Parts: sequence; structure tokens; C-alpha cells
Amino acid sequence: MITFENVSKFYDNQTALRKISFSVERGEMAFITGPSGSGKTTMLKLIYMAEKADEGRINVNDMELSQLRESDVPVLRKNIGIVFQDFRLLDNINVFENVAIALRIRGVDEREVKSKVFDALKLVSLRHKTDSYPTALSGGEQQRVAIARAIVSEPVIILADEPTGNVDPDTSAGIIRTFKEINARGTTILLATHNRELFKNSGKRVLKLDFGNFAGEEIG
Amino acid sequence: MSMSYSFRLAFQSIIRDKWVNLLAVLTIAAGLLFTAVTVLTVFNVNLITREIPKKFSVNVYLKENLQKQEIDNITATIKKEPSVENIKFIPKEDAWKELKSSLKNTEYILEGLNENPLPDTLEIKLKKDSINPDAVKKISTMLKQIKGVSEIEYGEKFLSSIYSLSLGIKTIGLTLIIIMSAGTLFVCYSTVKILFYRKNREIETYKFLGATKWFIRFPFLIEGATIGLCGGFLGLLGLLILYYFVLLKVGSTFPIFSSFVFPLNMSYLLPATGFVLGVIGAVIAIGRIRY
Ligand SMILES: Nc1ncnc2c1ncn2[C@@H]1O[C@H](COP(=O)(O)OP(=O)(O)OP(=O)(O)O)[C@@H](O)[C@H]1O
Ligand SMILES: [Mg+2]
Repeated sequence: MITFENVSKFYDNQTALRKISFSVERGEMAFITGPSGSGKTTMLKLIYMAEKADEGRINVNDMELSQLRESDVPVLRKNIGIVFQDFRLLDNINVFENVAIALRIRGVDEREVKSKVFDALKLVSLRHKTDSYPTALSGGEQQRVAIARAIVSEPVIILADEPTGNVDPDTSAGIIRTFKEINARGTTILLATHNRELFKNSGKRVLKLDFGNFAGEEIG
Repeated sequence: MSMSYSFRLAFQSIIRDKWVNLLAVLTIAAGLLFTAVTVLTVFNVNLITREIPKKFSVNVYLKENLQKQEIDNITATIKKEPSVENIKFIPKEDAWKELKSSLKNTEYILEGLNENPLPDTLEIKLKKDSINPDAVKKISTMLKQIKGVSEIEYGEKFLSSIYSLSLGIKTIGLTLIIIMSAGTLFVCYSTVKILFYRKNREIETYKFLGATKWFIRFPFLIEGATIGLCGGFLGLLGLLILYYFVLLKVGSTFPIFSSFVFPLNMSYLLPATGFVLGVIGAVIAIGRIRY
């Protein structure tokens, strides 16, 4: 589903990723881990084409990213649900609308929007915050709105960047459980985190990065 | 993409940035109002100057004692000239009667003149597009050379001053119209550009979530169009107020202004221009969206 072949990424003179090869199978749930600045976010950005690889090949959902036309980029992204490390919620619209955006962009019928958004918000236990604005939410609540937005459109791939960075251990465990349930229904999930607790005893594959270098693979 | 959603986004954004937008609407209204006033002035000056050809004529005074045959020859020669619309022969007796009747109570001026001193005259009307100082001068030089013609007379000074006045007003008007339209366009452009910069991160988020270019563009186009349209309607309102409350009042004291024509059936042009400028401004401001 997602394949990296000798991928390198340089920012100015700095190397963010060096010759990374890694793949996630269709329906698999995998993790990327490594210390801060090791290149986890960069790897996810390459997948949804917020950045372009300088070397190597990336294939996502049978699309060769280096050969993708500009007009195909939205097509690629509509297959992916993203939980951004910095959430990227829109402050001028309420929680409901923030989640609904993912559906509106995909042209989902207005009649289905409401029930889908409510279902997604229920999954992250924020059904009662529907009418709040992002600025009136705690960091953890904002993060869960971001998760709801990523899952609401039922994409084939979910990329989650530190999705439990702002929540307590119990909530965190709940979020991971939710992702596992979604994965069990066939969605491919790639989750970046420096928190080993998340994949400990999960039985899932973990890619380890260190200063942009491949630092081994393990089963959590 | 749902249209109603784009409209909702656009109107939310218009309300959110109401002060920037209000300022833009006012500026556009002022620009369009000023442009419209200029257009109307040029239009009216044009109307007046277009009346001139009907009254304008070149008088060809003939030498004394020409035979009818000779006069017919002269008339035929002049008629061949492509810029001549028609020719009227005024015998000196008619001219004399005319002069006398116009002097009714002051006939004593003519006392002592037993004989009619006036010459036979050919009154020439020119074609509309030949009535400008150069063309008239050219034809009068030509006429002078015809055998049997003694003198040519036309309102030379009058013609050239009216002509340069209308030309001047047209040139100034056109320049103003171009400057004002460019200004209005620029206001739309910068308003949308400001909104666009302000929403840079929001737009980037939309892109990352899979929005197509049109999904992103559409609300901005609606915003630009709305701002332009509002500016246009406000400008029209200003123009109507100016016409009905100022011009007509002034017209009752200065009759020149009361003949000022206001083509009401063209008033849709103001909002329409605002709309078009708003959309063009938005298109330029958004520019190319890249992924
Ligand atoms: N836009 C950018 N311009 C220049 N350098 C960048 C840019 N984005 C990231 N980097 C650098 O690339 C390296 C990898 O960054 P990245 O964000 O991928 O790390 P990360 O593993 O996600 O870290 P964290 O756990 O703190 O989120 C870092 O050294 C960072 O400074
Ligand atoms: Mg990161």
C-alpha cells in the first residue's frame, strides 16, 4: 500500500531522511518511531506529498508519486486521512464543521454528513463538543477533533502523526484501541510516535529512525 | 463540490472580515461613481457636438451676373465632392428678403442701399464625418478655386473651438475612465489578496485534506463578485442621488444642466461592471494554485 525505496529528503543542506526503504501492506497497521527530529513527520509528509522526495521512489495506493500530475494530487489525498502533528484545525468554524470538511471536500451528500460527523465525534468521545470552537478546547480535545476529521471519510489510508501527544495515558490507550478497530475493518494505518508505550505488545511492525537514518525494524 | 457550501464559506468570510470588505465596497463604489460621472459627461458632450453638423454649413458666395448655365455647372462640380451631403441655391433676392425681415424694425440701416448688395449663394451641408477643421479647410480651399466663386464663408473659429473642446473632453474622459477602472480592479485585487494571505494556512490545510483547486477558488470568487456587486449598487445609488437631488436642482437655476441626459436603462451597467471587476480582481489575486 505504501512503499519507500531508497528515499532521501534534504531540507536546504540538512538531511531529514537518508536512503529509507520501508513498506506497509494493504490493511496493515504499522508504526514509525524515533527521537525528536529523526524524520517521522517528514516521512508522512512525503506520503501525502506535502514534500517531494529528493531521491528514491515512493508508491502509495498504486500511484507512483514522482510521476503524479498536479491534478492527481487531490485524488491521492482523498484516499488518505491525516492527523497532523499540529492538528491544523480551522479556528473560525466549530467542531462539527471542522470534521465535516473532510466529507465536503469529498463531495459527500449533505444528508449523510450529519450522521457521519456525529458517529466520528462519538468515537473520540467529543459528541458533546459539537458546537464548540477549536480555541475553546483543550489540547487533547483538539487532537481528538483532528482524529475524528481523519477517520470520518473512511479513507483507505490513515496517517497519524503523534496522535496521542496531548492526552493522558488512559485516553491515549482509548485512541489506539479506536485505530486498531478501524484497522481491523481493513484500513491501512501508519502511526508516527516517540512514545514506545503505544506499540509495546501490539504485535505490529515498527520502523525505527535515528537522525534520518534507518535504525532497524522490530515487532512491538 | 457543493455549491451551497462554497456560498456559505464565502459569506462567513465576508462577515468575518467585514471591515476590510466594507472599505473595499466603499472604494469601489466611489471609483465606479466617479467613472460613471465621467462617462455621462462625455456622453452628453458627445450628444451636443453631434447636433452641430445639422446646423453647420459652408456658404459659397458667387460672382455677380453669372448665367444659370454657369451656376448649374458650379453646382454639379461641387456635388461630385464626396464629402458634400447636399447643396441649396439661395438667389440674392431671397437673401435680401431674408435680411430685410430679420431687420424688421431697424430697416433704416439699409437706407440708401437701393440695390441689393448681396451675392447669390450656394449653401453646402457636409457629411457628418467631414465636419472637422482640417476637412472643412481642405474643401473650402478647393471650392475657392472653382471659376465663378468669389468667396467662402464658414464659422471657422466656432468649428475649431467646439471641435477641440469635444475632443479634449473625450480624451480626458477616456483617460479618467481607464485610470478609474484600473483603480477599481486593483482594489478588488488587493482585497482578495489580503484575504488570501490571511488564509494562507487555511488554504494549505484544505489542500492537504484533498480539496481541488476549484473547491478552494470558488469561495474567493464569490467573495470578489459580492464585493464588486455591492460596490456597484452603492455607486449606482450615489449616482441616482447625485442626479435627482443635485443636478435637477441646479438645472432649475442653470438650464444647461437640465438638458443633461441620464440613460436610466443603462444603470444595470454599474453593478455589472462591479461584478466583473470583482471576479477579475479575485482571479488575478488567487493566481495559480499549486500543490
Ligand atoms: N520545512 C523544513 N525546513 C527545514 N528543515 C526542516 C523542515 N521540516 C523539518 N526539518 C528538519 O528535518 C528534520 C526532521 O524533522 P521532522 O519534523 O521530520 O522530525 P520528527 O521526527 O517529526 O520530530 P518530532 O518528534 O519532534 O516531531 C529535523 O531536523 C528538522 O529540523
Ligand atoms: Mg514530527
